[in-house]
Amino acid sequence: MLKIDNYSNYILKDISFEINNKNLIILGSNGAGKTTLAKVLSGLINSQNIFLENKKVSDISYEQRTSLLNYIPPKLEIFDEHISVEEFLMLNKFHTTLDIEKVLTTLDILHLKEKNCRRLSSGESQLVLIASAILHNAKYTILDEPTSNLDPQKLQKIFYLLSLNHTLKNKIIITHNLNLAYKLGFDIVFIKDGKIHFNGTSKNFFTQENLNIIYDGTVKKIENNIVVDI
Amino acid sequence: MKLLLIFLSCIIIGIAPFYGQIDLSLEKIFMQSSMNHQVFWNIRLPRIILAFLTGGILALAGLVFQTVFRNPMSTPFTLGVASGATLFTALAIILGFTYFISLFAFLGSIITIIILFLITSKLQDIHTTSLLLVGIALSFFYSACLMVLFFISDLSQSYEIVRFTMGSLDTVGFEDVYFMLFSSLLILVIIVKFKHQIKLLLISYEFAQLKGVDVKKTNYILLFVVSISVGICVSITGPIGFIGLIVPHILKTLYKKSSEQLIYPIFFYGGVFLVLCDLIARNIGVNSDIPIGVVTSFLGAPFFIYLILARK
Repeated sequence: MLKIDNYSNYILKDISFEINNKNLIILGSNGAGKTTLAKVLSGLINSQNIFLENKKVSDISYEQRTSLLNYIPPKLEIFDEHISVEEFLMLNKFHTTLDIEKVLTTLDILHLKEKNCRRLSSGESQLVLIASAILHNAKYTILDEPTSNLDPQKLQKIFYLLSLNHTLKNKIIITHNLNLAYKLGFDIVFIKDGKIHFNGTSKNFFTQENLNIIYDGTVKKIENNIVVDI
Repeated sequence: MKLLLIFLSCIIIGIAPFYGQIDLSLEKIFMQSSMNHQVFWNIRLPRIILAFLTGGILALAGLVFQTVFRNPMSTPFTLGVASGATLFTALAIILGFTYFISLFAFLGSIITIIILFLITSKLQDIHTTSLLLVGIALSFFYSACLMVLFFISDLSQSYEIVRFTMGSLDTVGFEDVYFMLFSSLLILVIIVKFKHQIKLLLISYEFAQLKGVDVKKTNYILLFVVSISVGICVSITGPIGFIGLIVPHILKTLYKKSSEQLIYPIFFYGGVFLVLCDLIARNIGVNSDIPIGVVTSFLGAPFFIYLILARK
């Protein structure tokens, strides 16, 4: 169980929820505090209010945390200029027997194996990040906008992977893609101005009435798809 | 290209002891009675080894500082470690403790490190920019103190201080070499031991933490040990600039590998570079050697600017 208990900082206010053997989607407008929340949950921002199996995360050593928590940023940012995709992925391999080539093949990016990470396109680097999450295979993985730069075919592929129960144990996905959130069907937390405005099931979130309240009428449910009216 | 470089390096190291104010011949250095024998074994050989080890240490220290500070321009000298050593050396000269100059220089760098760590232990974040800024502020403070010392010192003392700041590889016998050997082992062992952590830090701080590294602690251990190593270096040779800046850059461009795979090449070529600079310094001057710091900067600065212009 991953629990955040009454957490507040410069942007977030009174955040409390828990995740118990399930997946979660975090929605919210730009600047609402989603990434900050993700970093708090993953321990990157130190806090006393996060608990893992009733133990304070700040009391767990960094080494032990690796099997429990992982955060995948929206962009692959690497300081060194000469690190290849394979080298990068090797660094994520510790709780798994999975093979790098196998994961890359699943994601259709085996051809990127030798490529320099600095030379990847934004979409390619997102796929490499997803590969790294699968290899790391932490108990809780927080994916920060994992599909924001993908083309439609890749998006479909990643949707399929994320929908499978055995790809990653507990997924917390931050996204702006409402249709993806809807189709995945995971529980929803909606954040506005640093506060939780909605915390419930996908079914209750994606009713036209609720969408009208939350998105001011810009989001429509049409033939079992969530569409943004522009 | 790499093979050619190794070949050239071996030639440089091979011929370096034989050229200088007195040119030596290979046969005579093994004749116990000849002056060549004396010069080679007591002066030239220790000097070449000293130059090689110093170059290696300074180059590796540059690599570590650049990794920890996320800044390709940082070296141990940026943090004030060398200025601390210089200031304390000046103090030793003015107080008349000329016999203890090395000890004072070493103390200067250690005290600087301790001040840095005391100040930064008050900082909350893992970002080391603050530490870098504190280091820069400290350097300026030291410069001001040095100016005061210049002001109150007499002419011969001032001259001695200036000579120290130019760097010198003058040595007789192997005593200095042993210290430098210890310093080299220290920096090599710590870097090799932390190789995996360094690789994770080369991705990003956040990534390293998620993969189990205590980033703050690791950074501090690396900086502390490397600073001690550099402190020993500076106390023996004086501050020698530019090596820590250019050698890692050149090797990264040449090898196109991630930094942690270049530990031994950077040490080796850092050493070769300083041996070469020393060879030039010993042979270009008419009456005496040109200060080593002058040669490294004369070679290093233009080459470094060329490198920056050449990369896109």
